[in-house]
Amino acid sequence: MLVARYTLRAHRAAFLLGAGEESDDVVQEAFVKAFRHLSRFRVGEPFGPWLLRIVTNETKNLTRLRRRRTALTLRLSAADSGGTAADGPVDEVLAAERRARLLAAVNVLPDRERQVLVCRYFLDLSEAETAQVLDWPLGSVKSRTSRALNRLRGLLVAGQQDGVSRG
Amino acid sequence: MADRAEWQSAVEAEVRALGRELDVPPATDLATAVRRRLEGPAVRRGPLVMQRVGTLRRWRPAWRAALIVVAALLAVLLATPQGRAVIIHVFRFAGIELRQEPGPARSAGSGASLPGERRMSLEQARHQVSFPILVPAALGQPSEVVVSDGGRVASLTYRRTPYGEVRMDEFAGHLDPLVFQKFVHFGHVTEVEVNGFKGMWIKGPHELIYITRDGAPATASARLTTGNTLIWGTRQVALRLEGNFGKTAALAIASSAH
Repeated sequence: MLVARYTLRAHRAAFLLGAGEESDDVVQEAFVKAFRHLSRFRVGEPFGPWLLRIVTNETKNLTRLRRRRTALTLRLSAADSGGTAADGPVDEVLAAERRARLLAAVNVLPDRERQVLVCRYFLDLSEAETAQVLDWPLGSVKSRTSRALNRLRGLLVAGQQDGVSRG
Repeated sequence: MADRAEWQSAVEAEVRALGRELDVPPATDLATAVRRRLEGPAVRRGPLVMQRVGTLRRWRPAWRAALIVVAALLAVLLATPQGRAVIIHVFRFAGIELRQEPGPARSAGSGASLPGERRMSLEQARHQVSFPILVPAALGQPSEVVVSDGGRVASLTYRRTPYGEVRMDEFAGHLDPLVFQKFVHFGHVTEVEVNGFKGMWIKGPHELIYITRDGAPATASARLTTGNTLIWGTRQVALRLEGNFGKTAALAIASSAH
């Protein structure tokens, strides 16, 4: 029951944090570890963030073992990318372009800034939960989030000007 | 500064929207795989950590560590008598499901309650439920009787006893397969006998949650139990007795219930 309840979320976290096609393995491993180390789990503490923290650590182990960059290139789901939007009205095309540019910007963020964005906005965790999941002080969560948003804004603005000058 | 907050929340909103459109492949149902690995036969399976052969090589160091953990756990389990009782992961008995896993986050304080609680006299309660209500002679008359969920559970509370507050929940556990879920460590559970009927003695506090007739956990009922718990069933009623007593005292109270 518990496994079923948390699988989707854990899987999404593993995938977005860089485990890619090995996300199922990471989540399975995380569940097994979570159950084996139940003694470290304080009763009454929410299980979700605790599990996600193990998922994050497992993902880090995996990417370290792979000896390749953490960054997994995230993609837009098929329904939202290219084809359909290009045929739609102009503002839809523009919105799709802006999303694609934003995604490209997220993909090139430094690892930690990407991780914090994934937790805060793609997994909808609070600042406190993010701190627990990534095992960072709360202050680092705040400062890295703010730095990441700043950088994205910079990249978006630069992209826009690029578009204008080319157009 | 206001300007900064404004563009920050604009970017935040865009990033959030982007998150909803990301391509994330579907997750596999892992419940069976996880359960298989957690149950005893984990060792029999040999190379146990990764199911997919393709990833075995990459995971080897993690897997060796996991094997060591399993070996250590097994050594502990085999060495202790309680350990031998750890056979299965989920166990149902007299309308109660015992699960060895963390429970749902319980509601804070002692505000936990069963659905539709109604306080009444013992006599009134006997008319509200479909099973005989047993009263432990060793404790005398209860301080409070509460019938919950339209007569599905009767709860007797004894406020002042030598064992602190004692609570006895009674329900038709012989007919109703799932009334309560307990999240316990199986090492803390031992089998006992009450007046010739099988019972379970659960040492120490654990999380308890009420399961409604349609099988949904009643979140508001989730709580941490106090002291120790004895559960047992007769042919007509299932009972759980909770209080700050030892096993001998609990068994004495239970066998005085008529």
